[in-house]
Amino acid sequence: MKRSILGLGALVVAASLMLAGCSAGSPASTDSAASTGGTLTLGATVDATSWDTADAEFGNRLQYMQPVYDSLLHIDSKLEITPWLASAFSYNDDNTRLTLTLRDDVTFTDGEAFNADAVKANLDHFATGTGQNSITLASVSSVEVTSPTEVVLVLKAPDPALLRNLALVSGMMASPAQLTTGSLKTTPVGSGPYVLDAAATVTGSQYTYKRNADYWNADAFPYDSIVIKPLSDLTARLNALKAGEIDAASADAKSMAEAQASGLTVGKMLGDWQGLFIVDRAGAKVPALADERVRQALNYAIDGDAILKSIRLGEGESTTQIFNPSSQAYDKSLDDAYPYDPAKAKKLLAEAGYADGFDLVLPDLAGFSDVTTITVQSLKDVGIRVTTEPVSADQTISRLISGEFPVFVFSWGSSNSWQDTIKLLTPTAPWNMMKNQDPELDSLIAAAQSSSGADADTAFQKLSAFVVDKAWFAPWYVQNNIYLSSAKTSVTMQPQNVVPYIWNYAPAS
Amino acid sequence: MAIFLLRRLGAAVVLVFVIATMTFLLMSMTGGDPARNILGDGATVEQVAAKSAELGLDQPLAVRYVDWLGAAITGDFGRSWFTNEPVMTSLANKFPVSLSVVVTAILVTALLSAVLGVTAAVKRGWIDRFVQMFAVLGFALPNFWVALILVTVFAVNLKILPATGFVPFATDPVRWLLGLILPVGALVVGTIASTAQQVRGATIDVLRQDYVRTLRSRGISHRSLLFRHVLRNAAPPALTVLSLQFVGLLGGAIIIEKIFALPGIGSLAVNATLQGDLPQILGLVVVMVVLVVIVNLVIDLLTGWLNPKARVS
Repeated sequence: MKRSILGLGALVVAASLMLAGCSAGSPASTDSAASTGGTLTLGATVDATSWDTADAEFGNRLQYMQPVYDSLLHIDSKLEITPWLASAFSYNDDNTRLTLTLRDDVTFTDGEAFNADAVKANLDHFATGTGQNSITLASVSSVEVTSPTEVVLVLKAPDPALLRNLALVSGMMASPAQLTTGSLKTTPVGSGPYVLDAAATVTGSQYTYKRNADYWNADAFPYDSIVIKPLSDLTARLNALKAGEIDAASADAKSMAEAQASGLTVGKMLGDWQGLFIVDRAGAKVPALADERVRQALNYAIDGDAILKSIRLGEGESTTQIFNPSSQAYDKSLDDAYPYDPAKAKKLLAEAGYADGFDLVLPDLAGFSDVTTITVQSLKDVGIRVTTEPVSADQTISRLISGEFPVFVFSWGSSNSWQDTIKLLTPTAPWNMMKNQDPELDSLIAAAQSSSGADADTAFQKLSAFVVDKAWFAPWYVQNNIYLSSAKTSVTMQPQNVVPYIWNYAPAS
Repeated sequence: MAIFLLRRLGAAVVLVFVIATMTFLLMSMTGGDPARNILGDGATVEQVAAKSAELGLDQPLAVRYVDWLGAAITGDFGRSWFTNEPVMTSLANKFPVSLSVVVTAILVTALLSAVLGVTAAVKRGWIDRFVQMFAVLGFALPNFWVALILVTVFAVNLKILPATGFVPFATDPVRWLLGLILPVGALVVGTIASTAQQVRGATIDVLRQDYVRTLRSRGISHRSLLFRHVLRNAAPPALTVLSLQFVGLLGGAIIIEKIFALPGIGSLAVNATLQGDLPQILGLVVVMVVLVVIVNLVIDLLTGWLNPKARVS
């Protein structure tokens, strides 16, 4: 008996040692990023969903699409728009007709030709689809094919975000032969620098892209292959980075010290702002909010700098603006408009006739509990009686957009100025839930929409000044997107997107 | 036996139906708006309405339920609202990952707890004290903490095992096994702790029985006594614990799946629930219930095979 049990134990130990022995010789790291070629392996916070260009998203999921789909235009890390599949582009005088001249040396990976008909088919497919960004082509009334290498986008009204969007989601070109088959949802067919290698791809685990041998601009993409691994958990991404299994991934402020201690490079880029959305500006639910002094009091009442320092570890900058610091609407001088001043908040409330405060219900959103707690206490300190109502993650957007809550704490991924304007400020904007309107704001929006160049910058900054002055929101700070990379990978951070674009990576020299 | 199996299968069908119906009703009552969640924050009310119609959400609840049930009976669980992947395809991709981890963890648990439990019961003394101490320690250490320690030591520092990811068995059996070592290691610390205690307790109980003393007095060898008589009688409680652990691990390995980035049903269940992806959730629930029923059935049959007294007629 004794021998048999000991024998069994020995067997188990031997098996364990064998397994450990097997593992010793196996490479845990990727072979990525020699000085030329090699593999770039990225950790992504979300999994890929649809491969249909009509479903293309900004943000994290752009990285899945950009290797396989080329866009009509190109956007770089300085937000400059340059030709790409469209070799030239020009507007008419009133910015209502955009003429695109197309390259004639591009074919899709299924052999279909890239030409004006393909562009029209793709733009129509995107605009009529049910993807979340079909709205980015809402300004286009028609696409005219004027020659095999030229199309004209006829606009209902000027669209200052159109060129940027054509360089990203709405300009992504899929093979016209696949647009109507439904197969694009699961199998991408584009003309991009890479093709999805189905044999080396495991859905939900690893997406492998290999070079498109016929690509027209291979020099712009240094890697021979790209691997994207969905790693939703930050700990998993950090471990994978430290173990050399991936070359770069998103992180957060709390993981920076650990990452730096492990020899990883930390990239930062100002991204989302956090603060209050004060959406009941006409006082339909809470009459007090109709008075701009009350809304300004909300701006003075909360110590955004303290929240930035304590909760976000100081990774960001104070702001009072809804527009991204990299955008044309941003005006640094406006950020001093509302320093933390509870006494002034109380004074403004008293002037508006609310010396005894008023009642307010704030949603307690999943992921925002910490800042909501601070907000509730700060508002109580100036006399506003606040109660909270829990809202689950799957109901967050639908309940906020319904206009149920007159004020709420939220985070906004600000990007292009016009994009933010039509999402947050216009009377039809989905995040202007109560359809608030102001004649002065209307004229400022119209001026920003129709101007271009330096005039547009000025017009957008006036728009931002109006929104700050009227206190339609109470932003506290814009926080840094944190992005980690290994020593062998050079990453250029991208303004206005949570992760770098796929062309922002190169082997470190 | 045939009647027993038929009754079990009949109960399973009823169970699947009841749980699927309850899931459908509960998910429909949460008040979430999947169309809005799919289209995101920039979509207009009209776009959301169009998407709702596309998903059939504009139909009355009863109609949607009957449609789903009718298709599900034929094996068609529809497509995920978010990824557009057929539900059965995504389950076929995810279940092997979770089952690889859970089944391996259960096998390792069964083997090691049998060795530790029986040794402790038979030998007593310091081995017994060690097993009992290990059991307390195993209970006390949360598996995610064990996982993080294992990753730091074996993947980050020693670089001898992968920190993340899963390689299908068919692609590369060696890398499949290597990928499982750390997640399984993290899971089995707790399961061995409880199962080894059960085996130890049950073995000690049986060893104290009169018939064991009688058998011993008749000169039956120690090995035969232990394997043919004691273990057979001590096995049912341990098997029951194992079956409970299997079910618990299947549903509870979410954190381990996250830490090791294993594309299993844990992450699928969390994402589908947060998004309100009803077809995906229903498919998952049905398959989980079927799996739980099968595991219980197998354990019942195994118990009967090991111990004729527990055999069903």
